Amino acid sequence: MTTVAVNRSGGFRRFWNKVWTYLSKPQNAILLILGIILTVTTIYPLLTIARDTVVVHPGSIDNLPDAQGSKFEAFGTTLTTYNWSNLFTESITTRVGRQRVTQSVASVYLWSPLLNSVLVSIFACFGAILYGGVFAYLVTRTNLKFKKYLSSIFIFPYIMPQWTLAVMWQNLFNSNAVTGGSDGLFVTLFNAYMPKWWCEGIFPVSVVLAIHYAPFAYILIGGIFRNMDANLEEAATILNTPRWKTFLRVTLPLVKPAILSTVLLVFSSAMGSYPIPHYLKLNTLSTQYVGMSSDRAGEASILAVIMMLFGFLILIVNQRTTSGRKNFTTVTGKSGQSSTVNLGAAKYVLSILFVLLTLFTGILPIILFAVETFLPNPGDFSFIKYGINGHMTTKWWITSENVTENGMYGQKGILYNADIWKAFGGTFLVAICCALLAGTIGTLIGYCVSKNRRSKWAAYVNNMAFLPYLMPSLAVGVAFFIFGSGVGIYNTFLLLILAGTVKYIPFASRSALNSMMQLSGEIEEAAIIQDIPWWKRMSRIIIPIQKTSIISGFLLPFMTCLRELTLFMLLCGQGMIITTMLGYFDEMGLYAFSSGINLILIVLILLFNTLVNKLTGASIDSGIGSDS
Amino acid sequence: MARIELTHVTKRWGGFYAVDDLDLLIEDNAFVTLLGPSGCGKTTTLRMIAGLETPTTGKITIDGVTVFDSDAGINVPANKRRVGFLFQNYALWPNMTVFQNIAFGLSNIKEPGLSVTPEGEIVRNPDAGGTPRKLTKEEIKSIVARVSAIVKIQPFMDRYPGELSGGQQQRVAIARTLAPGPKVLFMDEPLSNLDAKLRLEMRSELQRLHLSTGSTFVYVTHDQMEAMTLATKICLISNGVLQQYDAPLTVYNRPSNTFVADFVGNPAINFMNARGSQQADGSFSLRLLENYDAVFTPAEPVQTESWYAQAEKEIAEFDAKVRPAEKTNKDVPFNYPIAMVNDVPDSREPDREDWVVGVRPEFVHICEDGPIEGEVFSAMPTGMETTVRIRVGNFLLTSVVFGGITYRIGEKIRIRFTGSGATLFSRVNGRLVATGTVEVK
Repeated sequence: MTTVAVNRSGGFRRFWNKVWTYLSKPQNAILLILGIILTVTTIYPLLTIARDTVVVHPGSIDNLPDAQGSKFEAFGTTLTTYNWSNLFTESITTRVGRQRVTQSVASVYLWSPLLNSVLVSIFACFGAILYGGVFAYLVTRTNLKFKKYLSSIFIFPYIMPQWTLAVMWQNLFNSNAVTGGSDGLFVTLFNAYMPKWWCEGIFPVSVVLAIHYAPFAYILIGGIFRNMDANLEEAATILNTPRWKTFLRVTLPLVKPAILSTVLLVFSSAMGSYPIPHYLKLNTLSTQYVGMSSDRAGEASILAVIMMLFGFLILIVNQRTTSGRKNFTTVTGKSGQSSTVNLGAAKYVLSILFVLLTLFTGILPIILFAVETFLPNPGDFSFIKYGINGHMTTKWWITSENVTENGMYGQKGILYNADIWKAFGGTFLVAICCALLAGTIGTLIGYCVSKNRRSKWAAYVNNMAFLPYLMPSLAVGVAFFIFGSGVGIYNTFLLLILAGTVKYIPFASRSALNSMMQLSGEIEEAAIIQDIPWWKRMSRIIIPIQKTSIISGFLLPFMTCLRELTLFMLLCGQGMIITTMLGYFDEMGLYAFSSGINLILIVLILLFNTLVNKLTGASIDSGIGSDS
Repeated sequence: MARIELTHVTKRWGGFYAVDDLDLLIEDNAFVTLLGPSGCGKTTTLRMIAGLETPTTGKITIDGVTVFDSDAGINVPANKRRVGFLFQNYALWPNMTVFQNIAFGLSNIKEPGLSVTPEGEIVRNPDAGGTPRKLTKEEIKSIVARVSAIVKIQPFMDRYPGELSGGQQQRVAIARTLAPGPKVLFMDEPLSNLDAKLRLEMRSELQRLHLSTGSTFVYVTHDQMEAMTLATKICLISNGVLQQYDAPLTVYNRPSNTFVADFVGNPAINFMNARGSQQADGSFSLRLLENYDAVFTPAEPVQTESWYAQAEKEIAEFDAKVRPAEKTNKDVPFNYPIAMVNDVPDSREPDREDWVVGVRPEFVHICEDGPIEGEVFSAMPTGMETTVRIRVGNFLLTSVVFGGITYRIGEKIRIRFTGSGATLFSRVNGRLVATGTVEVK
């Protein structure tokens, strides 16, 4: 008996020694804690959506046919298959024109929005890669003019809130005759009435999404083009390979991984985009989810589950391809200079073309938003024809008292409107907290994972942190909406910060991981050997060396948070943060207010980006993209 | 007393054995080099002793203190092992100046009984008691001044590592490692990033450093010349398995197998396949180089039968080792190179009549009355010596001749094997049977 006891205590001691040794390495302890936290904050909300599809919702309780036995007891509550069976088997009657048409519920609420979502996502991928990829090639590998200007303005659409371009599209092309409402700039200037397919639906949504996400393609593909060893192409040239063949057989395969990453990123982002299809009136999964009436709450959750499934699918494809991505080492560091293709006369044509294009996507929206705030009636550009006098006003900015007439609906001007500034304050609160939390956690994950490259647990934590990246924003929003309502923190800053942090950790963890991977482990080991404590190693060695990428890890969540709508709109009331406030003014028809807010937001973001860039050298394009 | 002892240390990743059951005793004040081809496990061994890598099983003690024991679950972290480590790429902190790089570790020391001599040497006397204290700014300055004087980097104290040449960075790294006065100093190929001339210079400085510090040095290299010139003992590793652990000249003169014989020495040893058997007088009568008869006389008596019995016993013991996972990086017999003009593969399975004779280039003597006839295949004079490759039939032998003698390629010459430094290996298992003389008739 005694020997057994001794063995046992010896075994326990050994076990305890091992645990202690394991946890005495800070990266192991941090990974353990973060892994548990992230599992809860990432997986639990996702599970709540799945559960939500089988619970009995107050709105649909009357519809439940008791006799059919669709209710059952499980997990201590009443569950039902009604949501699923109703969505997939029932029919509804709708009016199309004068005719009453009976269609299945699924085709109205699921299949047709799903088809639209998938179609615009695919088109957006193509558009973004074509536009961004061609631009990346021109900027990095040819003697295009105005490279510096073009490359910074090209990412404007991505920095600006997503709906910016959608609103601009409306302002440009809408007309009273075709879409109703005021005449846009095209009608006013050129008397050109664009057809309805041009103004609303799949086409404009795809185009706007493509332009918005083209900077992804530019950053990812351009990064490879820029670092690509010219020797690779020169080797082909020496072998007397024609230029086009070199491009097709050498250059293109090398950027294929970047193209694939772009496709995955754009696809999942476009899938979850709410504002663009909302403004351009296309029924997608996101807009359908939001538009679903409360008596179909469970069915709405099914839509969210389907969106999430796409996210998982993309994650799996991404996992499959990243292992292959390592096969290409394009940076060999030997050949410093890359050859540039001489475009000849096309140089000027292409340069001017891109200057004009970026003018439309980067500069014009800001001008239009600014002009809009001085228009007496939304979208009414008659001052161009009739002069400024009487056709422009400053009332939207400087009305300082409560007036109901004058089209102000009791709102004070933007400069005096306490609600607006309170919402701005809320946005900043959320953005700062999210940035600090996501940046810190992400940096720690990047550091710890780079230290434990072989560990399965580290890979798990990394994936857990990465998962929300490829989840459509709206699906994450839905998850936190259900989760937040369940635990009673709906409409609190806490919920917004929680959702934002989880969604934005990938930005920070990715940029931290990439940079930490490049940092030789010996740099830290040299300090470990000298018994320098962990916090001092971090604060005096690791962080100072990697400060640029770490700052981008904080900067990206901050910027994205400022302009985030899709993720937050389900989580709080409209006055809480500025982007939801903006939606409120849009609903009220106070477009001047929403334009003013947009203007302030864009100018702020651009200002921050320039400031941080100048101060630290970190910039948005050094990190990886997000969606909003 | 900084004595390091490794007992049955194994490091494996799945079935890949980076270090396979290594027993090693490093004496106090020794200068031991871990030598082997790249990927043989020497760096892993060093990192395990330093605590930067965790062994899978085994036990390591430094200075009598068990720092790792897989059975007891002991694993003292690297920072508590009080060792110095010089990294291959120096690992200088790019965000700190030279002074800060050296001082950073010092500013962190906090222990009782700490004092610094006027020359700038740390004296540790933890038994003296008293409250733990840190080093003062002046003390740190005097230590930095001392170590930077040793490696002659005083003019660069305010520069950043990026502003230094490779050799200067190396010196800073050495100074940083020396500053806290470690009893054991580990070096991972510290000279491999330097150019040939600087390497030679640093080599001699490291030797002086070893003498002046009195610390135990463990040094990893794949350069046999470095190992030969610096070490008091060489530990030769291949495929994670210890091949030989001896003084440099022993390794050179009595290589334990064909791998060691081939790895150590430049130009490489000449291997010749031989066939024959041991005679009654203890000598081996052999036939080598196709059609030459030779007699190999062992320096010490050896008995073929009992030698084979002993070797087979040892091999069986090695094979019988209990391994938790099958070794995927299998131990295959070393494929010793035989230099030939036209490669003729020899696929015959060797038996106990098959031997390999090894003759170092300095024992291949060119002389008028040599029994072997050959012609000059190539000649490479360096001024001090000339390396000549000699063609004998289809075989090539390398000879080193002292002095700058010019040979004409194709010139007919005669050679003989001189000295008592020839080696005889069994072709069955590649192990050394005996050293001795080889006389060609």
